[in-house]
Amino acid sequence: MEFILFLERKNVNQLDRRQILVAGALGALVQGGNVWAAQPAGAAFRIGALNPITGSGANFGSGMQKAILFSAEEVNAAGGAAGRKLEVFAEDDQTSPTAAVLAAKKLLEVNKVQAILGTWASGVSLAVLPMTNTADAILMHTSGAVALADPKINAKKMAYRYQGSSKHLSRAFATAAKKEGLTRPAVMAQNNPALAPHAEGFRKAWIADGGKLTDFVLYEPNRPSYRSELQQVLRSRPDGIILSAYVPDATAIVREWAQLGTPMKWIIPGFGANVDFIKGVTPEVAEGIVVVESVVNEKSGAYARFAQQFALSMKQAPESNVYAAMCYDMVQVLALAIEAAGPGADTVAIAAKIHAVTTGAGTPVDSFAAGKKLLAQKKAVNYVGASSTIDFDDENDVDPTFAAFTIRGGKWQRSYPISG
Amino acid sequence: MEAYLLAIAITALVYVLLTLGLNFQYGFTGLINFGYVGFFALGAYASAICTVRLGWPAWTGFAIGIVVPALLAWPIGRVALRLRDDYLAIVTLGFSEIVRLVIVSEKDLTNGNQGIAGVPKLFAGVAGPGYADGVLAAVLVLAVVLVALLMRAIVKSPYGRLIQAIRDDETALLALGKDPARFKTQVLMLGAAIAGFAGSFYAHYIGFVTPEQFVPIVTFQVWMAMIMGGVGRLRGAVVGAFMLLVILEGSRVARDIVPGVSEVAMSSARLAVIGLALILFIRFRPQGLLGIKRD
Amino acid sequence: MDLLWFDYANLALNGLAEGLMIALPALAVTLVFGVARFPNAAVGDFVSLGCFGALAAHRATGGSIAASLAGGAAAGALGSWLGWKLAFQPLMRRHGLALLLTSIGLGFVLRAFMGLSFGHEIQLFDVPLMKALRFGPLLVNPIDAMVACFSLVCMGIVFGLLRFTSAGRTMRAIACDMDLARVVGIDSRAAMGRMWVLSGVICGVAGLALGLKTQVSPEAGADLLLPAFAAAVIGGLGNPLGAVLGAICLGVMQELSTPFVGFTYKIALSYVVMLLVLLWRPQGLFNRVQGVR
Repeated sequence: MEFILFLERKNVNQLDRRQILVAGALGALVQGGNVWAAQPAGAAFRIGALNPITGSGANFGSGMQKAILFSAEEVNAAGGAAGRKLEVFAEDDQTSPTAAVLAAKKLLEVNKVQAILGTWASGVSLAVLPMTNTADAILMHTSGAVALADPKINAKKMAYRYQGSSKHLSRAFATAAKKEGLTRPAVMAQNNPALAPHAEGFRKAWIADGGKLTDFVLYEPNRPSYRSELQQVLRSRPDGIILSAYVPDATAIVREWAQLGTPMKWIIPGFGANVDFIKGVTPEVAEGIVVVESVVNEKSGAYARFAQQFALSMKQAPESNVYAAMCYDMVQVLALAIEAAGPGADTVAIAAKIHAVTTGAGTPVDSFAAGKKLLAQKKAVNYVGASSTIDFDDENDVDPTFAAFTIRGGKWQRSYPISG
Repeated sequence: MEAYLLAIAITALVYVLLTLGLNFQYGFTGLINFGYVGFFALGAYASAICTVRLGWPAWTGFAIGIVVPALLAWPIGRVALRLRDDYLAIVTLGFSEIVRLVIVSEKDLTNGNQGIAGVPKLFAGVAGPGYADGVLAAVLVLAVVLVALLMRAIVKSPYGRLIQAIRDDETALLALGKDPARFKTQVLMLGAAIAGFAGSFYAHYIGFVTPEQFVPIVTFQVWMAMIMGGVGRLRGAVVGAFMLLVILEGSRVARDIVPGVSEVAMSSARLAVIGLALILFIRFRPQGLLGIKRD
Repeated sequence: MDLLWFDYANLALNGLAEGLMIALPALAVTLVFGVARFPNAAVGDFVSLGCFGALAAHRATGGSIAASLAGGAAAGALGSWLGWKLAFQPLMRRHGLALLLTSIGLGFVLRAFMGLSFGHEIQLFDVPLMKALRFGPLLVNPIDAMVACFSLVCMGIVFGLLRFTSAGRTMRAIACDMDLARVVGIDSRAAMGRMWVLSGVICGVAGLALGLKTQVSPEAGADLLLPAFAAAVIGGLGNPLGAVLGAICLGVMQELSTPFVGFTYKIALSYVVMLLVLLWRPQGLFNRVQGVR
């Protein structure tokens, strides 16, 4: 992995952003004032899209950034929020806290963004959160680290997590394991800041329910072979293996297992067992593998719009990038909150509305456009998104609904829901 | 805008410290250390553990962050003396990877791959959060100046002349009855201490440390800065570190000029530029790289 | 968990397979060192080139392993020879550090080129998954067996070349003493060129092995670099047999250590062993003592 201090920029509009930025920067220098005072109505709301375009999150980052961009275009096409258009400044955080700090500094200080959306790696979110706190900016991320919900760290409560945190995903694993009838499972997890906690959480939940694990293996990524790790786990004779991995190592491990021929029940999270995984291990081998994934809201109009736009712009299957769906929702939610807070609201007031427009008693809406109409009539709304129903708990974490799928004939087939 | 430039300046200053330390190790003794990032990591983690895990004041982290790398440099020094350059390069590379793997494994101490978050910003209590970064930058400049003065003092002292003599002709030195081994080790330890010092600043600035931030490519970046600025010259460290950042930031300006490039392609292009810079500098402007070494 | 003898044996077999795969780049490193006097950090990226070359040949011929061998070898040889001509030859009279740093830079450039040309997605060889071969309680992965065959055959050919052909003899001569060899009339430049090509071919074969065993990506080969260095250093830089034996020993020992040190520390083991071996014998296990500096 590289930690090269490098920042990139991408613009949405056709205008020469650079000239405007330079003028703005000069203006800010001259003014030197507090930019987060209430904005005059009509001033654009600036969003920083800080995503892992390169680095270990690169598989997801481009899709996430595109999702933010076309979600913002949708909002602008519907007339903007509270009379303000959304303006997106895109940067690459390189999946590195060092690079992310510089990129976030640039977004906050030079581009004067009022919200940063789409940080993926826990390290990146943890490094950026103190900065958004200082700047009174909103942060919406998809990172799993439990520390992000820590009241000491999310001190201003202006950070929002759109992915089920480790505690949710691991409980989902535990439920699935029980439903599958496992009594002596083992766990294999990549020794990675996101994946290891899922496994640890599962172990806690499983043991708290009185269960036992036969083995718990943390393995390093990028190894030429996982034969030894797999053999150790198999030696303990588990009746199922929970595998917390991304596609490359999941593919490698399951292929190794296929060659050994020991019958085994596998439970793998959705981001590890996607279409590339199935292709890599072959559909025959993948037959019967159980996949646990937060339910992408397929019935939701938001998902339909997201999927269509995503497939068009990324030329990839929309279900391969659940984080992009989360990013799409981030913009819609933010726009609804801006609309609800009314013209001239500052970011703190807008943040205060986020729970109101997503959680609780309100008419369900699945798009900014629909919500805007209802808000104009002074009605409460509850946004139901593409990635989940977007209901935040007290720690600003979404409480997603999970479901278990079984791979049959090379495809995921929904088996049963798992209440979050 | 100034806050952003300040951020770049702070990062550059941390690299300047690193380059100074490496300059000291290689430029004055010819010891090839490809594991420099290991010392950087030790300093950063010392500060993080002391302030976050143990709740001690920041200066304890700095103190431990200076002493521990120096102590670990001692056995490397002893080993280095018996090895050829090339072997040493590889061994030190292995050393920095061992440091990283230990950090990953010893979860009770370092929280493993998840890293340690919440390392407090320096001077936030003194200067208020808005000005903390400015004070930090000023202190870093002070630190750089102090380290540079220290090194100049050493270089000009009889001890320093001894070190230069080692670099130039070891056999003669041995004939005079002086043992170059001890001095080389001491220089190595000092260079390691400087890296640890830089690491502490880094941890407090970023606020978050993980093993992933301390990988071999950081060592190579420091080497590049040293080569570009000129080995063996103290001024070179400053010039080299800032040049490194120019190279790395320059690609962003390039993207403004060439808008059609995708971000992912840019990351490959970035890597290519670094590789080419390394190749071309060594070939056409080694400037002190080979002036010191015997062929 | 109590381990029985065959568990250890299986671990040892895994280690042997890994060691045989590392043996190839280790051999390439040591060959270059013997003749050009620097450790070539671009070897990992030559291996990646070999991966892609083999993959392309495999797809083009609908799955022929022989074609993949040729494709990988060709890609590795081309990369290595170009690197020699463009980057290393102009620097031949310089100190080893300059060449080492240049090889690092060359590695970056190659990786960037592969990233731009082929993208960063993981690609796989389309070979059918075969069941492991069982010999009682011992398990052997058929891919591992294939990789082992390639390695052994490749090594055999290289050793044969070095020992029995005139080209090999000239290579050994320039490795021993370049100026003396020239005095005797050996065309050192041509011999050097041949050595680079040979090193590249070895990397290419390693690329096919790596691609079959794991996955193909621009970064795949670079992960082998440090273990290859460690193996070559332990065996004694410049000593081909040493590099191979070093790789095998390291691989076996690494896997056997797993029950005791765990999966993360086993990686550190190679470096620790390297350090210990060098402390005991600074020239490497199989080398004679040369001037230390």
